[in-house]
Amino acid sequence: MVAIEDIRARARTLLESGEVRAVLGYQRGSAGTLAEPAFLTEPQQAASLVWDPTCIHNLALYLVNEKKRQRTQRSNDKRPLAVVAKGCDSRALVVLLQENHIDRSEVVILGVSCEGGGVIDPRKLTRALAGRAATTVAMDGADAIRVGTASGETTLPASELLADRCLECARAYPELYDTLYGDKAEGRSYSPRFAALNTVAEKPLDERRAYWNAHFERCIRCYACRAVCPMCYCDECVVDSTEFVVTPNTSADEKANRIRWIQRSPDASESAMYHLVRAMHLAGRCIDCAECERVCPVNIPVRLLNNVLEREALEAFEYVPGTDPGLPSLISSFRDGDPNDFVR
Amino acid sequence: MTRRTGVFVCHCGTNIAATVDVKKVAAELGQDEGVVFSNDYVYMCSDPGQQSVINAIKDHDLDSVVISCCSPTLHEKTFRDTSAAGGMNPFQCEIANIREQCAWVHKDKAKATPKAIKITRAAVKRVRRNESLTPIGVPVTRKVMVIGGGIAGIQSALDLANAGFEVVLVEKQATIGGHMIQLSETFPTLDCSQCILSPKMVEVSKNPRITLMTSSEVKSVSGFVGNFKVKVHSKAPFVDPEKCKLCDDCTPVCPVVVPNEYDLNLTGRRAIFIPYAQAIPASYTLDEEACLGLNPVVCGKCKEVCEAGAIDYDVKPKVTEYEIGAIVAATGFDLYDKGYLAEYGRGKYPDVLDGLQFERLCSASGPTGGQVLRPSDQKEPKNVVFIQCSGSRDPENHCAYCSKICCMYTAKHATLYQHKVHDGQAYVFYIDIRSGGKGYEEFVQRSMERDEVIYLRGRVSKVYPSKGKLKVMGVDTLSGKNVEIDADMVVLAQAMVPSKGTAEAAKTLKIGRDKDGFLAEAHPKLRPVESVTGGIFLAGAAQGPKDIPETVCQASAAVSKVIQLLSKPELEHSPTVAKVRDSHCTGCEMCVDACPFEAITLVNGKAHVNEVLCEGCGTCAGTCVRAAIDVKNVTQLQIHEMISACMGG
Amino acid sequence: MAEAVEVRKVAQESGEFEPKIVAFLCKWCSSAGSDLAGVSRLQYPSNAVPITVPCSGSVSPIYILSAFNKGADGVLVSGCHPGDCHYLKGNFFARRRIYLVQKLLQFIGVEPNRFRMSWVSAAEGTKYAQVIADFVKDLKPLGPHGKLGAKR
Ligand SMILES: Cc1cc2nc3c(=O)[nH]c(=O)nc-3n(C[C@H](O)[C@H](O)[C@H](O)COP(=O)(O)OP(=O)(O)OC[C@H]3O[C@@H](n4cnc5c(N)ncnc54)[C@H](O)[C@@H]3O)c2cc1C
Ligand code: SF4
Ligand code: SF4
Repeated sequence: MVAIEDIRARARTLLESGEVRAVLGYQRGSAGTLAEPAFLTEPQQAASLVWDPTCIHNLALYLVNEKKRQRTQRSNDKRPLAVVAKGCDSRALVVLLQENHIDRSEVVILGVSCEGGGVIDPRKLTRALAGRAATTVAMDGADAIRVGTASGETTLPASELLADRCLECARAYPELYDTLYGDKAEGRSYSPRFAALNTVAEKPLDERRAYWNAHFERCIRCYACRAVCPMCYCDECVVDSTEFVVTPNTSADEKANRIRWIQRSPDASESAMYHLVRAMHLAGRCIDCAECERVCPVNIPVRLLNNVLEREALEAFEYVPGTDPGLPSLISSFRDGDPNDFVR
Repeated sequence: MTRRTGVFVCHCGTNIAATVDVKKVAAELGQDEGVVFSNDYVYMCSDPGQQSVINAIKDHDLDSVVISCCSPTLHEKTFRDTSAAGGMNPFQCEIANIREQCAWVHKDKAKATPKAIKITRAAVKRVRRNESLTPIGVPVTRKVMVIGGGIAGIQSALDLANAGFEVVLVEKQATIGGHMIQLSETFPTLDCSQCILSPKMVEVSKNPRITLMTSSEVKSVSGFVGNFKVKVHSKAPFVDPEKCKLCDDCTPVCPVVVPNEYDLNLTGRRAIFIPYAQAIPASYTLDEEACLGLNPVVCGKCKEVCEAGAIDYDVKPKVTEYEIGAIVAATGFDLYDKGYLAEYGRGKYPDVLDGLQFERLCSASGPTGGQVLRPSDQKEPKNVVFIQCSGSRDPENHCAYCSKICCMYTAKHATLYQHKVHDGQAYVFYIDIRSGGKGYEEFVQRSMERDEVIYLRGRVSKVYPSKGKLKVMGVDTLSGKNVEIDADMVVLAQAMVPSKGTAEAAKTLKIGRDKDGFLAEAHPKLRPVESVTGGIFLAGAAQGPKDIPETVCQASAAVSKVIQLLSKPELEHSPTVAKVRDSHCTGCEMCVDACPFEAITLVNGKAHVNEVLCEGCGTCAGTCVRAAIDVKNVTQLQIHEMISACMGG
Repeated sequence: MAEAVEVRKVAQESGEFEPKIVAFLCKWCSSAGSDLAGVSRLQYPSNAVPITVPCSGSVSPIYILSAFNKGADGVLVSGCHPGDCHYLKGNFFARRRIYLVQKLLQFIGVEPNRFRMSWVSAAEGTKYAQVIADFVKDLKPLGPHGKLGAKR
């Protein structure tokens, strides 16, 4: 069992001692049931920390954002940030470490194990409750979730509410942590890895094309998927331009030098290009927190585009992202025995 | 950034003009943005053609040109020089290949012309964004390392030393000499191999400019052309060559006997030994692996008897680091292992020998003092069968290539045998005889006519022992008959393969190998002694099967290339190298991992390219997901526009 | 869908459809191989427009996606055989990257035959001609690709 009191106590000591600049965790939501990211700087705020299956967000993102902010504000507070990290979040931290984006000294990791559970998919919850609003959501053993509503409590099978990625998760505990809360539970998983991906991948080619074309057609290019992704930390995305960051001194000529790999118009083909480029750029880096899919306002299964490359990385190259910060990344390494049959 | 580009379309006589409407290409491109001049001419590369480019550059104030002609491998340099003569930066000239990649491979003018337009337009788009560049100057170290002490390495080292350069000669065996020192007499003149090689070996040991490192191997190479840092590992020299008096007191007391590799295992040697009398350095050697034990000392007999006090069991292996300007790789060859040939007994029959073993039998310094005797019973063989192409020219099972010298040495072997055993008969099975070379064909003919060697055209399907003889089952394709010979000895002309360790050496040197594993030359015709890596040259059988004269030629050729390189006050390195866009680089190090030349390091959290190490391959650019690194003049922006041009836009 | 299939069929039957191909060739092997095809006067279809790059390892996935997005019906990347890379190992990185691009494209419903990688050495003029001829032959029945993600 993850004892939330322990996490709160740790957060309080860290803040009291001034060891950390702030604690990134989850607090009760101000709207709706879902917990929300909390940025705590005072010891007494530690009491507001929560841990339940609505702690969906990947907090690694806020670490990245905070780093960006510190850089622009030229802050010289060099103290680390403490971060509450689930298994997937911790893998994101590993990739960030692997890419030198953060230094291990910049972060204190409060690892929490999902202990056979996971986080819910809000869409599944809404569907299961048929419109009623949930007030509380808690794991009830490993296989069930207790949901409180205005009209009382119901217990639903976890497999109906957990997010797809949690159902498929093979390692529901932090890879890397300073303190660990809860037990590392091995051998769980409700569905096989890549189950959601396979249902699409197994469709015939024409159907697959129609499926994705319809999705790309719908994309509004709000870039929410990119904004929520802890790996999309570049100052300037190739999708916007790749020539340079615009400054007040940027001349028109220089602006003309930008590569327009992708047009801004929400044309299906441009959107497809955007999603494919993003998937390629996340190959070997995406740790499947599925935040991109969650935030998509038009329900594009963005996660699957990353999943397909994750599966290939595993099956063809035995590469699992987010396991070892010392490893060269998927595409900056190779083995002599890599698949070669596909080449003529 | 308005550019003034000139486009010049070449007819190449009718080579291009017959399939591509060159006038149309010039006219269309003339309409393109930024193209202020376009023209076509019958031979752009001719003097008047080049002059027209120079004139146009001046008259129309061009800042970039595209020559739409043949492959850039042919005339890129020509036209870059022309552009420079016209006062333009040579890197503002690009070639559109509309001959090899278009005119010559298509017939239909209606299809070839639009393709030629696309190719030319892509080049225009590219050149419009080219940077003006100047070659990067690099200082040089005037010291050369030669790796391998066979005839190739010896020749290279001597030539270099005689030209006044310092040389470090690295040989992994205890002595230099390579395979040539094992040979008896050499075709086509039959002069004694040791007699012609030993003086050169002595010269190596005497030359003050040559540092000889035997029992040594190169372990790492860093740096770049003109400025390599090479680490050489040397085995512990338990016997001090300075003190060793060659008295031979040590070998009789040594209790260990192991096969003698210098006699190809036809004889044995002790753990302390001298490879052969002419060894250089002239000293006994202690083979640590064969010795009963040095740490702690198990036997210690040799040290006890050595009056000169040359033996010291406590010396340690050492690593020496050298600063080197250029490297000659002369790592030589080995014979293809008989063990691979099931039909000839997998090397298990004692009287089935390979060519080098037969050389030892014929050699006056060999196990039999130059008499041809069967290893199994020391009797003189009366029927000897020589089988050519054993393991060569057999793409299905063995080596696909021709080992080139086996026809010649087999003829030599058969001749030597007939000279030594007057009542004997030599048979040669061959596929065909390849005897190109001065005096070579005459040599083969003499072996047939004067020395009465019987040549049978065909393959041998099987060799097996039967009643004290070796039954050779062959076919004579000229008469169409099966041939069976009861032979006393069989000699296999085994294929030549790269010497053991060539793969590792190539890796250490960062040079390529060809499909057969030999060291790869930069160009099969025009750059036969250079590797693709600047400053590393090739000589001898390491680059492909060859005989001694050819090896010596190549060694001297490699040396002349080295001298060219090291005679310049500064080296020029291509400036089309990677450059980092600091604003985009996040310091993820993916490019650092991917760069094949270790040219990138992180400096203050950003990728930094060592321009001298960078070969401009662009692997970094293909890897970086942030488009933070590009190769100059093949930037992503340029490729982006070239793609559009290829699509017709 | 049905309509698109119809269009493709028509194009196919009237034999008019000429696929547009962008071919990224490495300078040292495949481009040299295509030169040899030229020197040997081998004939092959004119559909592929070559872009010579230093090394197959320099081909960024975005080049491939972009070529499709600009209307290519097929894209080829060709490099030196494994172990023969002029830059020692650029093609190994390329192989891994291109494998992934290919799987991604297939996943979103791009026919496998539209994207190809080949190893063509400087000595393989014949192979280069064959690679292009085969590619064109395989692309013709597929009809135009249209842009990525666009309805056909
Ligand atoms: C049976 C036979 C008969 C022949 N007869 C003739 C003949 O009559 N006439 C003729 O012209 N040619 C003849 N040849 C060919 C001749 O032997 C070769 O042309 C010649 O030996 C090639 O010299 P090399 O220096 O390139 O290679 P090698 O002689 O193989 O020398 C290479 C040297 O490099 C050393 N080495 C290898 N790797 C390393 C390393 N990593 N580090 C340090 N040192 C290394 C080896 O120990 C060796 O000393 C014959 C060949 C054979 C097999
Ligand atoms: S791969 Fe790109 S972002 Fe990463 S260090 Fe290299 S140039 Fe910088
Ligand atoms: S272009 Fe090639 S050699 Fe140069 S830095 Fe990039 S990867 Fe290294």
